[in-house]
Amino acid sequence: MRLSARSSHGPLAASPAAIAAALFCVLLRVVPAGAASLVITAQLPDGRPLADAVVTVQPIGKKLPPPAPVHAVMDQMNRMFAPEVIVIPVGSTVAFPNSDSVSHQIYSFSPAKRFQLPLYRGKPYPPVLFDRAGVIILGCNIHDWMIGYVDVTDAPFYGTTNAQGTWSAELPAGRYEITVWHPRMREPNPGLVRDLSVDATDRATLTLELTKPLRPAPMEGQSPSSDSY
Amino acid sequence: MRPNTLRLALAASALLAATAVRAANWELDLDLRAVASDADTSVLDGGYSPMRFSERQSGLQLGRLRLALDTPLGEVWRLHLDASAWGNVYRSPIGLTEAYLQFRPYPRDRLRVRMRAGAFYAPISLENGAPGWGSPYTISFSALNSWLAEELRTVGVETKVDWLGTRTGLPFDVGAVAGVYGWNEVAGAALANGGFILDDRQTAVFDRTGKLEGPTGAHIEPFREIDGRAGYYAGMDLNFPGRLLITALRYDNLADPSTPDTVSHVFAWRTAFNSAGARWESGAGWTVIAQWLAGRTEIAPGGHALEWPFNARYALLSKRITRRQTLSVRYDRFEVDSRNAEADGEQRGHAWTAAYVFDAGRRWTVTVEWLRVTSNSYSWSEELNRPGPVTDNQAQLSIRYALGSATY
Repeated sequence: MRLSARSSHGPLAASPAAIAAALFCVLLRVVPAGAASLVITAQLPDGRPLADAVVTVQPIGKKLPPPAPVHAVMDQMNRMFAPEVIVIPVGSTVAFPNSDSVSHQIYSFSPAKRFQLPLYRGKPYPPVLFDRAGVIILGCNIHDWMIGYVDVTDAPFYGTTNAQGTWSAELPAGRYEITVWHPRMREPNPGLVRDLSVDATDRATLTLELTKPLRPAPMEGQSPSSDSY
Repeated sequence: MRPNTLRLALAASALLAATAVRAANWELDLDLRAVASDADTSVLDGGYSPMRFSERQSGLQLGRLRLALDTPLGEVWRLHLDASAWGNVYRSPIGLTEAYLQFRPYPRDRLRVRMRAGAFYAPISLENGAPGWGSPYTISFSALNSWLAEELRTVGVETKVDWLGTRTGLPFDVGAVAGVYGWNEVAGAALANGGFILDDRQTAVFDRTGKLEGPTGAHIEPFREIDGRAGYYAGMDLNFPGRLLITALRYDNLADPSTPDTVSHVFAWRTAFNSAGARWESGAGWTVIAQWLAGRTEIAPGGHALEWPFNARYALLSKRITRRQTLSVRYDRFEVDSRNAEADGEQRGHAWTAAYVFDAGRRWTVTVEWLRVTSNSYSWSEELNRPGPVTDNQAQLSIRYALGSATY
């Protein structure tokens, strides 16, 4: 993804106007009097940071307005989805450019969004609308090892961890359910889940550690016998 | 359809693809070798040594010249053509090792279907994942896969169905594959007439191998249809992508071993085997591959059955030292028994292979390999009067240059 999905307020939009709109929504909604800051750190079992993990934060016992849709980008580079995983609010769109010199075809048969983008290079297709919550798993019908994930969420606070494994947000005081998920983690769905109370003007920090290492990322050429089909 | 007609059809489709398809990916590889060997003449050249190059062939050699074409045809069809020359002339200096049309519909509801028609390798090897059915680990293939390269090719149709657990959040996929084919009814003759070898030469479809058949001294032609019966294979695989692949396959050409060709009087060889394999990758550069294959081949001239049970297995350990450098070691064992009074065609052997691959960028690959084969065979002791096992050594330096658009 060419934008950051690591903001506390979700992916920055692809256009300046959308960025402004997103920030405006955030200012309206998320920073009332008594706002607190939340810092989540995700780690691998050996203590190294877990980057690109999806963090979603749902309020417990009250309802917050849904997050504003965004326009995100998931590229295809070196015969891999880049990034491997993005998280977007319900109603967002995702563009799938192909920056490789070879053609790709994208398909999904995940219940939250079934679609196909027939054989293409460059960016011939308009962005795809994701209007239901859930994890959509993408494949390429040419390169069978390619796999990508779009996590469509209705959580008011969401994002992915940075290279240091952290993600932070400003949010109103209250109780929250925090979920950390990575597509290659071995923990069962929905991932690591914690409840946390955040007081006003507090700075809450939470570190979550996986108990098992990530599964290896599928790579080109690692399954030659199946590639030859 | 006669082999000549099929060859013509394959050549015509190659021409069509080369001229009419703009989206084609093509590749031209030249693999040159510097060889040092202490072996006698190879069985591939009418001798007895189970490796490709003999002492007399030490020096510069053509390893392989390859031209491949791979192109989508519309949205869900794909054509693949792979032609190679090995520096030896049987029927023609260059031949197609694979040529097939593939149907790749979009996966639906966790099921991915792939169908192929044409000439291609049955999905047995876990070693030959490089372009053109080459090995990314060594120059010479294992005895098991060298035999597939020499005698086996599916000339027919194949369907593979994968249940895509990985597209639903599970860590594995499960696959089933089945093929139906003809024209491979002399496969097995090369095992009975010279045994297993370790090399990288692939017999072109409808071409001959270098081995000589029995007392006739004629080159073996594995790709003949004699009795009009189709053969089959059926297999399963369990794949944890990037980590573990386990495969099993049953192969039977269902040839009638008592049927000779009315013109050439060559018998159909009934060849059937089971195979299994596993490949494990550590995620940190280590790869372990083990494959096993056991079966038998049979002819029954005049109703009198002659049978050769055979088996081959190997284990390969490979380590990617840096992004560009890979070290591999492989140990092979192979046996051909004989249920005939004279024990004609028996072979027992084992081999060590060590190789270093330097991937010098997009176009250049440099490989150094040392191969040592110890083999005890009927042919050695009977015809050369050299009882006991014979050990051959062969060292190769391969420099490969690849030209063309990105492979598919």
